[in-house]
Amino acid sequence: MSEKKLYSYTALFNTPDEIIHAVEKVSEKGYKNYDVNTPYPVHGMDGAMKLPPSKLGYIALVLGLSGMMAGLLMTYWMSAIDYPINIGGKPIFSFPAYIPIIFEITVLFAAVGTVLAMLLFFFKLPNNSHPLHGTNYMKAVSSDKFGISIQVDDKLFVKEEVINLFKELGSTEINPVYYDEVEINYKNKIFEPKFIMFLVVAFILTSGATYVTLNKLMFMVPFDWMSNQEKVIPQSKSMFYSDGFGMRTPVEGTIARGHIPYPYKGDLEAASAMPNPLLPTKENMKLGQQKYDTFCSLCHGYHGEGDSRLRGQFPNPPSLHSEKVRNWSDGSIYHVIMEGQNIMPAYSSQLTNDEKWAVILHLRALQRSLNAKETDLQ
Amino acid sequence: MNFVFWVGIGHAGTLISAILFLLRQKWRNGIARFAEGMTIFAVMTAGIFPLIHVGRPWLAGYLFPYPNQHSIWVNFTSPLLWDVFAVSTYFTVSFVFWYVGLIPDFAALREKTSNKIKHIVYSIFSLGWRGSNKHWQNYEMVYLILAGFATPLVLSVHTIVSFDFAVSIIPGWHTTIFPPYFVAGAVFSGFAMVQNVLIFVRKIFNYEHIITIDTLEKMNKIILLTGTLVGYAYAMEFFIAWYSGVQAEQFTFINRAFGPYAWAYWIMISCNVISPQLFWFKKLRRSLVPMFIIAVFVNVGMWFERFVIVISSLSRDFLPSSWAYFTPTATDFAILIGSFGLFFTLVLLFTKALPVVSIAEIKAVVDGAQPTHKEH
Amino acid sequence: MSSSLTNFGYQQKELPVKVRNIGLALLLIGLVLAVIGYFVEPVRSMFNNIILLTFIISIGLGSLFFVALEYVTGAIWSVPFRRVMEFLAATLLIVPIIALPLLFNLHDIFHWTHPEVMKTDKLLAGKAPYLNEEFFIVRFLVFAALWILFYYAITLTSKKQDSTKETKLTRRNIKISAVFIPVFALTVSFTAIDWLMTLEPHWFSTIYGVYYFSGTVLAALAAGTYAIVSLNEKGYLLKGLDKDHYYSLGALLFAFVNFWAYIAFSQFLLIWYANLPEETIWFLQRWDGSWKYISILLMIVQFLVPYFGLLSQPSKKDGKKLKFFAVWILAAHYIDLYWLAMPTFSKEGFVLGWIELAYPILAVGIVVLVFSLKSKKSNFVAIGDPKLKRGIEFKL
Repeated sequence: MSEKKLYSYTALFNTPDEIIHAVEKVSEKGYKNYDVNTPYPVHGMDGAMKLPPSKLGYIALVLGLSGMMAGLLMTYWMSAIDYPINIGGKPIFSFPAYIPIIFEITVLFAAVGTVLAMLLFFFKLPNNSHPLHGTNYMKAVSSDKFGISIQVDDKLFVKEEVINLFKELGSTEINPVYYDEVEINYKNKIFEPKFIMFLVVAFILTSGATYVTLNKLMFMVPFDWMSNQEKVIPQSKSMFYSDGFGMRTPVEGTIARGHIPYPYKGDLEAASAMPNPLLPTKENMKLGQQKYDTFCSLCHGYHGEGDSRLRGQFPNPPSLHSEKVRNWSDGSIYHVIMEGQNIMPAYSSQLTNDEKWAVILHLRALQRSLNAKETDLQ
Repeated sequence: MNFVFWVGIGHAGTLISAILFLLRQKWRNGIARFAEGMTIFAVMTAGIFPLIHVGRPWLAGYLFPYPNQHSIWVNFTSPLLWDVFAVSTYFTVSFVFWYVGLIPDFAALREKTSNKIKHIVYSIFSLGWRGSNKHWQNYEMVYLILAGFATPLVLSVHTIVSFDFAVSIIPGWHTTIFPPYFVAGAVFSGFAMVQNVLIFVRKIFNYEHIITIDTLEKMNKIILLTGTLVGYAYAMEFFIAWYSGVQAEQFTFINRAFGPYAWAYWIMISCNVISPQLFWFKKLRRSLVPMFIIAVFVNVGMWFERFVIVISSLSRDFLPSSWAYFTPTATDFAILIGSFGLFFTLVLLFTKALPVVSIAEIKAVVDGAQPTHKEH
Repeated sequence: MSSSLTNFGYQQKELPVKVRNIGLALLLIGLVLAVIGYFVEPVRSMFNNIILLTFIISIGLGSLFFVALEYVTGAIWSVPFRRVMEFLAATLLIVPIIALPLLFNLHDIFHWTHPEVMKTDKLLAGKAPYLNEEFFIVRFLVFAALWILFYYAITLTSKKQDSTKETKLTRRNIKISAVFIPVFALTVSFTAIDWLMTLEPHWFSTIYGVYYFSGTVLAALAAGTYAIVSLNEKGYLLKGLDKDHYYSLGALLFAFVNFWAYIAFSQFLLIWYANLPEETIWFLQRWDGSWKYISILLMIVQFLVPYFGLLSQPSKKDGKKLKFFAVWILAAHYIDLYWLAMPTFSKEGFVLGWIELAYPILAVGIVVLVFSLKSKKSNFVAIGDPKLKRGIEFKL
C-alpha cells in the first residue's frame, strides 16, 4: 500500500444558515481550492462561494442550433438529393412537413448533449474513487448535514489555521481526509481503456444479438408467425384451388391495360385501308428512327436496303425501296409488322401501336430519300 | 387508439415534473419522481402499439433513416415518421430527465446502505455524485434547461400524434384544432391516471404528509381545467362542422352522436365533459373516494374519445362500400389489457427498487431547509 | 384616497397630466384622420376599423382575463400589479363605440350580408341561421354587455377592497372570475369568428378562436408589461417589485410567443398538408402578390425576433428589454390582425397609406387616455389585497 496523503480538512455544520455564513467567511479569507457538499442545493450558496455563472446555457444553445442544422441537412439531403421520391405530389423538399422532425432533433441534441457535457466534461463523472468517497463526511453530507472541505493544495492552506477557522465557525466535526496516491486520477474516467473496452464488447454483443434476432430468429418457428401468412403470394401453392396452383390464368377475354386487340387479324386487305394516324412531326420522326434502328435495322439495314448485320445467320430480306413496297399502303406495312410475313416474325409485342406508326413514317422517309422527286426540292 | 391513450398518459408525468417546475410550483416535488417514472413506462407501453399497427413488426427498423441496401430513405413527410422521431426523442429526454433527478438520490442511498452489493450498484448509478456545490450549480442549470426542453417536447409529441389524424382529409379527423385539443386531452387523462395511482401510493407507503390533500386538490383543479378545454374543443368542432357546410363533415358529427357508435359517444361526453365539472365543488375536490371515482371516469372517457375519433370516422368514411361496424376481437381486448398489465408491472417494479419520491427535492423544500438570511 | 405609509410604503401619485394629454392628442389625430378616411375610402376604413376593434378587444379582454386568472389560480407574484391590468381592462368600455360605425355598415364589409349572394350561393345559404345581420349584432351586443358586466363586477370589488380590506371580497372575486373564464373562452372565440373569420365566409378553421386567443393574451401581457415596468421605474408602484417579478412577466411573454407560433404553425401545416382547395385558398390569398412579404414579416416579427430576444435568463429580468419587446410584440399583434383582415379587402397586395397609420395612432391614444383617466381616481396598487405582502416578497 502506498502512503496516504492528506487531501483536505472537512467540517460539518447542522443548519443551512450556519453553512452559508461559514462559506462566506471561508471565501472572504481568500481560500480558492475548497468545496461545499450538501444533500440538496442550498439557495444563495453560489453567491457565497462567488461562483461564476454556469456556462451550460450557452452549450445548450450551441447544441440546439447544431441539432437544427443537422436535422435540416439530413432531411434535405435524404429527400431532395440522394433519393428524391414524389410523394402525393408534395414538393421534393417539403419543408413545412419536415419542421416537426427538425424540431425533435434539435431538442434531442440539446437535451442529451447538454447532460452528457455536464456529466462527462464538467463534472468528470462517473468517478467513484474521489478521496471524499467512503468517508463519514460523505455519509453525513448525503443525508442531513452540510460540509466544507478545504483542500491541501490551496495556497493559503495551513493545517492549524484551517482547523481554528472551522472551530470559530461553530463546526462540531472537523476531520482530515486522506487519499491513496494511486487512487487519485484527475483524468476523465470516461476515457479509461477499461471502459472503452467495455463499450466495444457491449457494441459487439448488441450488434451480434440484433443480427441474430432479425436475420435468424425471426425466420425460425415459432417466431416466424407473421412471415408465413394465409395470403397467396406469387408462385406459392394454394389448397384453395383444386389443382393446388396459386397462380391462375386470367379469365377468358382478359386483355392488358391499354391494349386493344388487333381487329384485322389475318386480313391484309382490310388492314391496308388503315390510315397512318401520326403526323410527320419532329418527335414522331425521331421516335420512328429510334425504334426502326432498334428493331428493324438488324435485318433490313439502317437504310432499308436489306443489308442485314446478321452475316447470313438469317436470310437477308429484300430491299424496302422496291416498287412493291413503295406502293404498299401504310396500313399494309402496319399489318406486316403486326403479323409478320414469310420468315419475318411478328413484331406486335415489341412495339406499341404508336411506335409502329412512327416506324412507318421513318420508313417512308427512307424510301423518299432514294426516290426523291424534283418537287421535293422546293 | 391505444397508442394515443398511452402517450397521453405519459404526458402528465412530464407535465408535473417539467412544467410545474418551470412554474415554480413547490407542490410538485412530492410527486415529480413518480410522475416521471410513469411517463417513461407509459411511453414504453405506448411504443408497443406502433410496432403492432405497422403490420410487419420485424421490419420496424425500416422506420429509421439508416443507410441500407435498398439505398432508400424514410418518408419524412409522413406523420407516422414524425411520430417515430417525436416519441423516441420524448422517451430519451424523459429518461435522461428522470435519471438526472435520480443521481443525487442514488448517492444518498449509496451512503445509507450497508449491503455490499447494493452499495456497488448504487455507486455505479450515482456516478460518484458528491453533493459538491460546484456541481449543484451546474446541475440546477441543466435541470432547468431540461425542464425547459421537456415542456415544448411534451406539447410537440402529442401535437405530432394529433397530426397523424389531422393531416388527413377524413371528416372528423381533418380539423385544425386537433393539436391543442389533443394536448389538453393528454394532460387531462394523464393527470387522472396519476391521481388514481397516487391515491394508492400514498396509502401504501404512508406518504400522506408528502402527497397531501392540497396536492391532490390542485391536481383535480387541473383536471377540471383541461376537461373544460376538451369540452370547448368538442363544441368548436361541432359548430364549425355545421358552419362549414361541408356535408361529409356535418354527417360525421351527426353520425357520432346518433349513429351505430352513439353509445361510445355518449359515454365519452358524460365522462369527459360532465364528470369533471363536479370538481367545481370544493368538497368533492378534497375527498378521496369521490375524486378517485371521477378520475376513473375521466380515464374511461378519454379512452372512448380516442375510440370515437378513430373508429366512428373510419367506419363511415368517403367510400360507402367500406362502411362497416368494427367490433374489437378478443385479441384486441387482450392486447389492451396486456398493456395495462405491462404498465402497472413496470410501475410496481419501480416502486420496489427505486425511491418513489425524489429525496433531494423534498429535502430542499421542507421547512427550515433554506437559509433565512437572518442577521446574527 | 389614503396615502398612508402603512400601506407597504405605497404613496398614491397621479399620472402627470402630460400622459393624459398625449393620449388625448393621439386620439384626436387618429380620430380626425379616421373620419376623413371614412369619407375618402369608406370600405378600406372599415377594414381598418375592424382591425382596431379586434386590437382593442384583445388588450381589454386579455387584461380582464389575466385578472380573473390570478384570482382563480391563487397566484401571488402578480398581485402587486393587478390593478394596472384592471386599468387596461377598462378599454372594454370603449369597445361598443369603436364598433358603432361598423355595425351600421355591415353591408360593405361582409359578403354574407348581401341577400342576392345568400340566395344563389347554397353554401352561404346554409349558414344563414348564424350569418345574418340581426344575429350578428345581437351576438356582439350580448358579448359587449357581458364583458362590461364582468369588468365592473371584478374591478369594483377589487377597488372596494382597497378601503375595507375584507378577505371575503377576494373570495367573491374568485367566484366571479371562475364564472368569467368559460364566458371569456366562448366570447373571445366567437368574436374572432364573427369579425375576422366570416370576412371569408367560405373558409373555416376550428383553431381560429384559439389563434385569436393566443394573440389576445400576448397583447394584454405586452401592454401590461410595458405599463408595469414604466410605472415601476417612475416609482408609482411598490418598492420591492424587482427582478423576480420582471422575470415572471418576461417568461410569460416568451412562453406565449411560443404558443402563438405553435398555433399559427399547426393551422398552417394541417391546411398545407391536406391541400384541400376550400381551405388552402385562405393561405394562398396571403401569399399572393406582395402579401407574401407580410406573411414572412409576420413570422420574423412575431416569433423569431422576440424568441431570441427573450431567450436568455438575463433578458427576461431587464426592464429596458422588457419594455422594448412589449412594444415590439404589440406592434406584431397589430400586424397579425392586419394580415388576418386586410387580404379580403385588397387581394393583390398589401395597402399601406395614411389611413392604415391613423388607426394604430388611434389605438395607442385610446389605451393611454383610458388608462390615465381610470387611474386618476384609484390607487395603482391593490393595497387592500390580503396577498399583497407575499406578492412583494415574492422571490424565485
